[in-house]
Amino acid sequence: MFSYRCMRLIIPRPSVSRPPCSCCFQPCLIPLGCCGCCSALRPRYKRLVDNIFPVNSEDGLVKSNMEKLTFYSLSSPDKLDRIGEYLYQKASKDINRKRYKFVEIAMEAMDNLLQACHAQTTLNLFVESFLRMVQKLLEDSNPNLQILATNSFVKFANINEDTPSYHRRYDFFISKFSSMCHGNNDNIELRDSIRLAGIKGVQGVIRKTVSDDLVENIWEKQHMEKIVPSLLFNMQFGVNVMFVKKNMLASGDLTPVEDATVVTPPVLAEEVLRELVGRASFGHIRSVLKPLLTHLDRHELWVPNTFAIHTFRIVMISIQPQYSYTVVETLMQHLDNNFKSSPKTRTSLAVVLSKIIAIAAGESVGPSALDIINNLLTHLRTSVSTTTEITPEESQYQEALINALGEFANHHPDYQKIEIMLFIMNTVPDLSKKSKGDQMLQNILLKSLLKVGTQYSTTSFEKAFPASFLQPLLKMARAPHDPTRIIVMQIFQSLLDRHQNEKVLSTVSIKPYAALSQETPSRSDIIFTHKYGANIMQALIDSMALSEKLDSLTSSYNTAALLIVEMACGETVQEFLLFILGIQQVATTSDDLSNIHKCCLHIIAIALLTLTARVTGINNLLEYAQKIIEDRKQEATYLLPPLLDSKKSNKSYNLNLPHLAIDKMALAECLQNAGMDFNRLQTGVPYALNQIDNPGHRHSWVESVSNHMTHRNSSADLTAYNADADSISSSPGVSKKALAPEYTVDAMKRYLAEPPESVKREQQEKQKQIVRAFRESDFEDLMKRTEPKHDVIQNRLNDLFNSLSIDNKTPQNAANQNEKPIYETNFPELFYY
Amino acid sequence: MEEYKFLFKIVLVGNAGVGKTCLVRRFTQGLFPPGQGATIGVDFMIKTVEVEGDKIKLQIWDTAGQERFRSITQSYYRSAHALILVYDISCQPTFDCLPDWLREIHEYANTKVLKILVGNKTDRDDREIPTQIGEEFAKQHDMYFLETSAKEAENVERLFYEIAAELIDQARSKDNSSSMNKNLSDSVGLSPQGSKPPQVSCCSGLSNQSSSQTGNT
Ligand SMILES: Nc1nc2c(ncn2[C@@H]2O[C@H](COP(=O)(O)OP(=O)(O)OP(=O)(O)O)[C@@H](O)[C@H]2O)c(=O)[nH]1
Ligand SMILES: [Mg+2]
Repeated sequence: MFSYRCMRLIIPRPSVSRPPCSCCFQPCLIPLGCCGCCSALRPRYKRLVDNIFPVNSEDGLVKSNMEKLTFYSLSSPDKLDRIGEYLYQKASKDINRKRYKFVEIAMEAMDNLLQACHAQTTLNLFVESFLRMVQKLLEDSNPNLQILATNSFVKFANINEDTPSYHRRYDFFISKFSSMCHGNNDNIELRDSIRLAGIKGVQGVIRKTVSDDLVENIWEKQHMEKIVPSLLFNMQFGVNVMFVKKNMLASGDLTPVEDATVVTPPVLAEEVLRELVGRASFGHIRSVLKPLLTHLDRHELWVPNTFAIHTFRIVMISIQPQYSYTVVETLMQHLDNNFKSSPKTRTSLAVVLSKIIAIAAGESVGPSALDIINNLLTHLRTSVSTTTEITPEESQYQEALINALGEFANHHPDYQKIEIMLFIMNTVPDLSKKSKGDQMLQNILLKSLLKVGTQYSTTSFEKAFPASFLQPLLKMARAPHDPTRIIVMQIFQSLLDRHQNEKVLSTVSIKPYAALSQETPSRSDIIFTHKYGANIMQALIDSMALSEKLDSLTSSYNTAALLIVEMACGETVQEFLLFILGIQQVATTSDDLSNIHKCCLHIIAIALLTLTARVTGINNLLEYAQKIIEDRKQEATYLLPPLLDSKKSNKSYNLNLPHLAIDKMALAECLQNAGMDFNRLQTGVPYALNQIDNPGHRHSWVESVSNHMTHRNSSADLTAYNADADSISSSPGVSKKALAPEYTVDAMKRYLAEPPESVKREQQEKQKQIVRAFRESDFEDLMKRTEPKHDVIQNRLNDLFNSLSIDNKTPQNAANQNEKPIYETNFPELFYY
Repeated sequence: MEEYKFLFKIVLVGNAGVGKTCLVRRFTQGLFPPGQGATIGVDFMIKTVEVEGDKIKLQIWDTAGQERFRSITQSYYRSAHALILVYDISCQPTFDCLPDWLREIHEYANTKVLKILVGNKTDRDDREIPTQIGEEFAKQHDMYFLETSAKEAENVERLFYEIAAELIDQARSKDNSSSMNKNLSDSVGLSPQGSKPPQVSCCSGLSNQSSSQTGNT
């Protein structure tokens, strides 16, 4: 048995079907070229092959004879395999004798035949000889032969073969080309040629195998672990060159045309990586990413992360868009695995993440987007919970994560930003948790929320502040910890500020704000103010009373001022006046506030009054405010801006000056003189502290507003609600059933049969119901009723919170949590299409 | 005559600077290269030897010892028939790393791969690892053992010829006992049916009792 195999070896192309030798009519079992009895009558194909070689190797391939050989091969395709074998034998001998020119000629002849005959069904056998030849050349230590062989291989790789090739293997080629990619010849030019050849070879193998399932599976680990690092190794040296070139291009020293003609190993390697990533289907992405990450780890390319960013950008740009999410996910898992690495490394990783996350954002919607957010938040939690003392490096890492979050949110449409904010809001530990860790976490998460908030551009407050978001935010606005509260105020500011006034209003002043930009509040703004304005102002009063620190007070003022600029108008002014009176009242009635703190509240009250008067353009009001200011200038300048700094002054100021206070009746009079409604102001009670648990107190105004709306402006309000009546889920007070048509066959029939008038009547009835609901319910109730709007997202959130709250502060858990349901893993196609 | 009877893949591993490249070049080119630079990634060399009249083709993959290339070099372990693990007898740390190397080999190479421990640079007079210690270690870990000097050409030929002989034995016993397992005979690039050289699988049951014999010089 074994000796038989040996025979087959010695006779390179034996086969039972081999035809008898043309001269002796014996089955030809004797090795080629040694058939003594045939020497006089060599087979035709051999003579044809011999003739393509010149006498003097310098003369190169004999073209005319090559044409004859080609013609012969085309007319007798059955001889193709023997021609290939013979050429291979000849070249082998020439290699051993180092007659490299002849080797070149043999290779060129094979290339020609391959091109000419690629449509032949017998090509397969010829290809085997061809590839053995390529391998033979690649095995030689002569670099020129290796390059020559690679070029032939590349030509072959670009040919589309018609017949499948079941038993062809490419592992030698992958191994050898990868090795060439690391070429290290002392001669730099030769080194680069070898590396280029290696990269081209790799590209060839990819092209040859990627579309053909029958041959090598290029995506297998042992191949990707060679190919990917080889490409990256070459790209690594390109980053600096690239930047130089970019600068040169920018400065005009290098024209793009010139640039394009020079293919360097880094440039080509990058191109091949793009091609590889572009061809990867869902199941293959990780096979590419894993060695990629390992390479970056091994070659310490995270800090600094220029190359890592560059590489990941390439991946993100080249990958089929529907898979870009996987890249983000994989990078996050890598961050998980690095939880023990230095904060510097983690920061770098997070920065890379932030640079690519935007590209994935466009493709990941709904749950997957929340998964990413959730993962980032988990990393933040881990960072907070594992470090007792936050070092500057660690906080840089947190900063980087927050930026990633912001970047991610930034590339989502605004309605999804709201969902994201809602999601983050719900992960913030509530105020009952008072440990230092929880406090840090609150701040970090609120900062992330702020990051998203600043990306959101508010058009309608109704949309920017859904009840389920507003409610917890208002709770947080009363956080005892100053920095926490300030972040919440910043969140409010970024969501309230539709006209870029935040900077303008950042100082407390009674002078006109010159750069203030303003627009009359819309109907929907007014409705929002009526619905939720009071709750926000209530929270602001509480926050103002919580601290006498300048930054804290200024930040609350800023929020209040923005609220006024955005919402104050003839219809809402009374509410704001009650708010301002409330601030003043806290200053006069709360015993536990410091003297300086009380002064500050008076200052804020008068500044807000002046602002309100200016914004609403009610001159009587402005005159009244200015009169108070004048009096205070005479008697008590400490009741005028700027705010007093408790750190700098410990004087006790006289606050028992009722004649310098803002007077409620006087305000009502101002309105009256301006011909405006003053009923609410006259009968209403100024805001007071800690009203959160007692909405009953405030809800009085809801009624009064409703009544007032009914008799004053009902038609306008109705139209406003009409617009809303179409959106079923957002309409409170009306059960879904009543609103949504019943989609049963009967119902449809009825619907079709009914005259349009009745449909109209039905709609009117629905609208009336909605309007009634708004008028007759108090705030809390309304909120409860509007909540189902967020049902779907809420459920999803709840799921995630539950998993979060099982104290999964270790990254391992986080990773588990990200595991895909089984059907996703097994049927990715099903899932994605 | 060009054809060969067996093709074996041999991979050299070990710390940077232990002399892997020098061993390979001594064997394939018969020289000791002055100022041999560190290997980048993986180098490839081929040499055909004759054992008992049979031509044997040895594909030699010389890996970089540097840490940063570890991931690409590991990917070459898998298809190896023989792994030569090299340390420098005049450099204790290169010996101390051997367990790490074995762990990697265990993780990435074929379980039945032929393993040879080589202590190189015997020509140096500042030896830190006695022969005995190296031999003990090899025995413990089921490896063949040999001490070499690439510089003085000592035991270099022998190293590769012993490997070839051992692999031939394995192949023969395998071939006689059962038909060849095509899956395990990881081949050269091509395996056209008919002209395929008999492939060796490196998985025959290998007993290393003889390892010390091989090593005693
Ligand atoms: N004295 C002596 N020096 C040797 C011997 N073999 C190698 N060297 C020297 O050791 C140094 C490293 O040899 P290399 O062959 O490059 O080592 P390597 O294991 O290939 O190193 P990497 O490629 O970095 O993994 C060189 O300076 C050689 O001259 C030897 O047998 N004796
Ligand atoms: Mg080396």
